[in-house]
Amino acid sequence: MKHNNMNTEPIWKSWFARHGAKLLLFARQQSRRPDEAEDLLQEAFVRIWRLYGHTGEVAPGLVYRAIRRLAIDWARSIDRRQARENRVALDNPLSLSFDRTLEQDERKQALLRAVDRLPHAQKEVVTLKIWGELTFDEISQTLDESLNTVASRYRYALQKLRDFVPEEMSDKTSASTVEE
Amino acid sequence: MNEYEQLEAELRSLKPLPPGEAFSSKLEKALGSAGNLAVRRLPDAEDSSADFLPSVPPESNPLPFTRLFFYTGCVGAGLAAVWALFFYLSNGLIAPSYVTEAEQPLFTDHFAAQVDLPVDDPESPVHGVTLGQLQDTSPMPVMGWSDPQNRERFLRLVDEGIFQRPSGVPARRVRHYYMDETLWSHPASDMRILSTSPREEVIFIELDTY
Repeated sequence: MKHNNMNTEPIWKSWFARHGAKLLLFARQQSRRPDEAEDLLQEAFVRIWRLYGHTGEVAPGLVYRAIRRLAIDWARSIDRRQARENRVALDNPLSLSFDRTLEQDERKQALLRAVDRLPHAQKEVVTLKIWGELTFDEISQTLDESLNTVASRYRYALQKLRDFVPEEMSDKTSASTVEE
Repeated sequence: MNEYEQLEAELRSLKPLPPGEAFSSKLEKALGSAGNLAVRRLPDAEDSSADFLPSVPPESNPLPFTRLFFYTGCVGAGLAAVWALFFYLSNGLIAPSYVTEAEQPLFTDHFAAQVDLPVDDPESPVHGVTLGQLQDTSPMPVMGWSDPQNRERFLRLVDEGIFQRPSGVPARRVRHYYMDETLWSHPASDMRILSTSPREEVIFIELDTY
């Protein structure tokens, strides 16, 4: 019996093409260094895909949650969780995770610097909401926080960003004036 | 649009960098066989142009009709056997009182005279019937069938949950239901025969114990 040629592709590839960048951004935010972020994402994705990959469609929220829990486990294992949360913005600024051509756009640069100035908990929510495209309900499940807490953090974060962006813009302008 | 919505729109316009090719390769290795549990079929030129259309000219391959007539022949032989049994029983149950011992040899001789000796034709799917006889008597064409087109149609997936394997290692059992379809087509008469058979695949996904 003759069979037709079947050209197939594993579903995880198209799934990862859709969600990989967002997940990596979150992993970078959760980890201390960009190279550790890739390990974190790989470990979390492989664990979740082995469990649910046969269904062909995995909710991204599961991988976000796995990333966060693994990040906490890894940090605990070396007893540096506190240090991680304090240093994360310094060691791994969010702007490194975006297209470098943004350097041409001062407003966007200021926006990313403003996001980096947010407290870790608020930045987490902004990352999941804006770039992860999760609902507040999904974010609350990912972060193990109540819906109200998550929504409040997001609201506060936006208020702070509204204030931080003009500051960042003016700081940059004054810095460039001094350099001249 | 208020200032918060504008801020959100500005943030959304920033796109995070995607993972590199090297990372995807690393991920593929790490996934191993688990990465191939779910696959999707990519459209290719051959399939899109010839989805269930004859791709081989008629008379180029005589094998498919042989297989087709083997199955139809089996069904026909079965029906013939049932008819012969019914004929035999009805003669045995209804007619015996009318047949005398003297008439029996005549009946046997008459029956034997009508039966031809079976002809063994290796090309024919039905034993005792030549290909020519089959072509004369069958309402279906014998020559000119194209290669059968086979298609696997995924129906549904049932996750049957976690169970303990005999080895003690827990595993998740997933059952895939498929429908295998085979289509025979005869371009000259535009005749098509579709055969479908259901199929199940059971997949065990070993779970990590940690």
